[in-house]
Amino acid sequence: MPHATHPPSPGLQALVLCGPGLSLNTFTSTPSTLPKCLLPIANRPMVWYPLDWCHRMGIYDITLVTPADAAPPLEAVLRSHPVLTSLSGPRPEVLAPKGLEMTSGTAELLRLGEVQRVIKGDFVVLSCDFVSEVDGSRVLQQWMGLNPSLAASSSSRRKGGLAVYYPTYGREGISSKKDETDFVATVPLPKPNVMLPMGIEEVVMVMPTDTLNDTLDENKQALPIRQTLLAKHGNVKIRTKHRDAHVYFLPLWVKEFVARNEKFDSISEDVLGWWAKAGWQAGLAAKLGMDEVLAGKRSTDDEGANAGSVDEEEEVDATALSSTKSAPVAVRQSPQAFATRVRTSTAPPPRPKLAVPPLLAYMQPASPTQPLIRRIDTAPQLASISLHIARLPPSDPSPLAHEHKIHPSASIGQQTRISQEDCLIAENVTIGIRCNIKESVVGPNCEIGSNVRLTKCVLMDGVVVGDGVQMVGCIAGKRARVEGTSTTGAKGSEVEVDGAAVKGKGKGKQKATSQSGGEEDDKTKLTECEIAPFFVVEAGTEAKGETMKAFDPEGEIGGDGEEDVGDEEDAE
Amino acid sequence: MAEQGGTAEQSKTVEEPKVSAVELKKRAKADKQARRAAQKEQEGAPAEVPPATNGAHQEPSAQGQGVQQDQKGKAAQAKGQQQPKPSKQGGQDVRPERGGPSQPQSIPPRSKAAPAAPSKELPKRDNSVVELLSHLYPIQRRPNLAGVSKDVHPAVLALGLQISTYEICGSSARCVAMLLAFKEAIQAYTTPRDTSLPRHLVSHHLSPQIDCLRSCRPLAESMGNAIRWLKKLIVELDPDKPEHEAKDFICEEIDRFVHERITVTDQAIAASARNQIRTGSVVLTYAKSAIVEKTILQAHEQGTRFRLIVVDSRPLFEGKRLATSLMRAGLEVQYVPFSGLAHVVKDATLVLLGAHSMLSNGRLQSRVGTASIALQAHKADVPVIVCCESVKFSGKVALDSIVLNEIAPPEELLLSPIPEKSPIHPAGVATTAVTGKSAVTVTSAAISKDASEDDEPAKLKTLHEWSSISNLRLLNPMYDITPAEYIRMVICEYGSVPPSSVPVVHRLANEGM
Repeated sequence: MPHATHPPSPGLQALVLCGPGLSLNTFTSTPSTLPKCLLPIANRPMVWYPLDWCHRMGIYDITLVTPADAAPPLEAVLRSHPVLTSLSGPRPEVLAPKGLEMTSGTAELLRLGEVQRVIKGDFVVLSCDFVSEVDGSRVLQQWMGLNPSLAASSSSRRKGGLAVYYPTYGREGISSKKDETDFVATVPLPKPNVMLPMGIEEVVMVMPTDTLNDTLDENKQALPIRQTLLAKHGNVKIRTKHRDAHVYFLPLWVKEFVARNEKFDSISEDVLGWWAKAGWQAGLAAKLGMDEVLAGKRSTDDEGANAGSVDEEEEVDATALSSTKSAPVAVRQSPQAFATRVRTSTAPPPRPKLAVPPLLAYMQPASPTQPLIRRIDTAPQLASISLHIARLPPSDPSPLAHEHKIHPSASIGQQTRISQEDCLIAENVTIGIRCNIKESVVGPNCEIGSNVRLTKCVLMDGVVVGDGVQMVGCIAGKRARVEGTSTTGAKGSEVEVDGAAVKGKGKGKQKATSQSGGEEDDKTKLTECEIAPFFVVEAGTEAKGETMKAFDPEGEIGGDGEEDVGDEEDAE
Repeated sequence: MAEQGGTAEQSKTVEEPKVSAVELKKRAKADKQARRAAQKEQEGAPAEVPPATNGAHQEPSAQGQGVQQDQKGKAAQAKGQQQPKPSKQGGQDVRPERGGPSQPQSIPPRSKAAPAAPSKELPKRDNSVVELLSHLYPIQRRPNLAGVSKDVHPAVLALGLQISTYEICGSSARCVAMLLAFKEAIQAYTTPRDTSLPRHLVSHHLSPQIDCLRSCRPLAESMGNAIRWLKKLIVELDPDKPEHEAKDFICEEIDRFVHERITVTDQAIAASARNQIRTGSVVLTYAKSAIVEKTILQAHEQGTRFRLIVVDSRPLFEGKRLATSLMRAGLEVQYVPFSGLAHVVKDATLVLLGAHSMLSNGRLQSRVGTASIALQAHKADVPVIVCCESVKFSGKVALDSIVLNEIAPPEELLLSPIPEKSPIHPAGVATTAVTGKSAVTVTSAAISKDASEDDEPAKLKTLHEWSSISNLRLLNPMYDITPAEYIRMVICEYGSVPPSSVPVVHRLANEGM
């Protein structure tokens, strides 16, 4: 998408975390050749989506953080892929910190020295699997507009953060019950001025559903909630069907906050979870070292950079003068009175009670008309989002729409029917005669034989589909080969050269024989299958709901970097 | 009223057969215009109205006493005698009396003029603008990030957004916040090669920032004065000064300005104004002003015992904030909506007001509603004292609130947010919203009822759809102008002066520098 205007820089930098993609391991088992962030979604590498989103917001200072072995392919693709090179602005930097493993948690990643050095101001953390039609600048605008006191000065340590949550229900064809969810408790914003900001709320509790289930199990299916929460907030709303989009607008002090707390593992669960709780749980903020971080003890360099004397700035607080704010006098007074009566023995802290900056969240309402926000970390999601994007007409205002539904360089045989409105055909695709393609995405350099029927299929780069193949709801990885009737012999011998393919073929054959039992040579029929990259599906295979991949002796990569906890290997 | 309507109706029906050719032409014209407009039903009503009133006006001239006789029997028969008629019909009959003696020829031009006014309005159809104040409407409000120049510094951008959402509101708060943001922007500035900082900074770096702020909300008078001061400061810098020194110098000067013109000034004004509050006083104030707040708090700390009345109004409810913070400080506060003003003003012994700006003719520009407060206080012989820093003094002159004002988005007057984006909360949460909304529905239904009688009755319009109601306009002005004669005294850092001395102080403080 060409950018009509360059928005002004919001003064943020972006960190795009390119994780291992555990739940997509059919396609990402070898991160050194095809890391998750390069999987195509509707014929664009996955990483294009967060990059483009940032650019539309005016953020050009982008760092891709990735484990070392995924860095070379990522850099190569950034240099060469036409979609990525056509992005305006400077090319994002790839950072592969030494200590970063595939299994590292996201907060651990933030603690790494290299990453800490890269972060120089307020920052946005995104995941590479983030796809959004929502205009980022609208969310950003809310974050900037709602930031409390002194937010205008960058040295301020009282800025809040903002996370984005999207509903996992209410969208036909995209929402699925199996989607991962998070547990979020929010309260409405305390001070609505004239207009309520749309969908922005303050988070008071957040945890992934797994953690919630563990807590429930420990407590006999009851969720313990502290009295202090209810004492402080009278109107708590709990949602269990929203999911964290893994987009966090974070102020600079969070960098220090994370560095200080060694036990934080992931951003979504630990950093946000504790921050949200510190807002109301007495004493928690001090325990987490938040008071010192917010007071900016270590930040002598920051203050040095700021020319004006800091005391002065503290003195003239524009917010105190604002007519839509009441003076914070009470914060100092009421706890004193309270403390003297209740616990005189424990010396009350000399400083006023710490005001923890609010952790805001944009809770996207559930409605089919809302623009799409999704994280793609399972194969069904990859398929459904790809097909959703394929359905967008070129004239659609959505930034994700493709200019060409069928690329002009594609050659299409006679009497082939492609339903224009819901298909996406990339460049250099050859399609034989008498094919019928509906609701499908065909990646670049694919070869499709004759009499092929594709329905709801996603073919990544260079997939070869033989004659007469019928595929419904399949996802085929890069360079996979699905053999059809007539060309079996010829193509099969060609493939023998490729080692990986041979190995794959072996197993494919086994499967094929075990499945169809005999030699039903005439048709290859695949329904809802996932086909790994470079895998060859034998002619005559009939399969349903299978994952076809080469046997990998090394096993899968354990652990998960980005809470990709969902077990989607055995997707039906 | 009912009778009047009745007579008009009757006269119309009676008149119907005798419509003149001119009348027919006019009606055809109106019909055509109605067809052209998008919503036919809604326009039916206004298009129908002019002929009806017309008929009423025309009736005496066209038919002489004929119709009159039909309607009221023999009572009106004798033109000169009005005595037998009931008094309420007298009003009705005055017009026929006047029209009667005049020649029938004199009427057509008048009747021509009458429908001309509505027909002019018909094609225009811009319901969102009140025409008298159309010059005040901003070109674009609530900007998105995309519309802003690329050179705008993030701090200024954030400030702009905060100003447009009223997170930072109030003349001095905006001024201080702006100067602090400018400090950031200036520190981020580097002079291009072939030019010098004094020549380049203002025109190329500072003006996009100012434009950005202006697009978020019109600049306050204090901001204008501060910008003028800053520009002068930069232009007068020595071009040979090294860049970082110059930038540091500017930042220090900005700090000094904020310190001198606002922080210390506020102290001085509060110290002076608090002496106006005596033991037993009842101080009335409106909305929220930082200086008034400070004054009251200082007087309270001094140990003066007094009572406070905070009058507040929609849509910003700034008084709520003031009442909260004063209440927390331990003062005795009475919080009154604007509608209760006449009731509480009798109790007050002093009215303290903040200012958006003091104009050179001694008038006060402040939050809308202030003028009524001052008027009521003046009538009740309660002294009105304005606390205002000299940075808010202005060289401008205004006699009414029409020439200088700011129109805020009318949507702010709605009680609940626009429903399309909010109602997704399932079930229980909606209750509060529903009660609020139903109230709106009733009022707007009442408003729209006479607007579109021929509209299908089933469809109730809420106030949210105000822009589609053809004869409803919303107006949300920010300020009004209080006449100088209602103001007893203006307290600024130069002392307590009468409003007539405003231009002198302005010259001293803002132009003499």
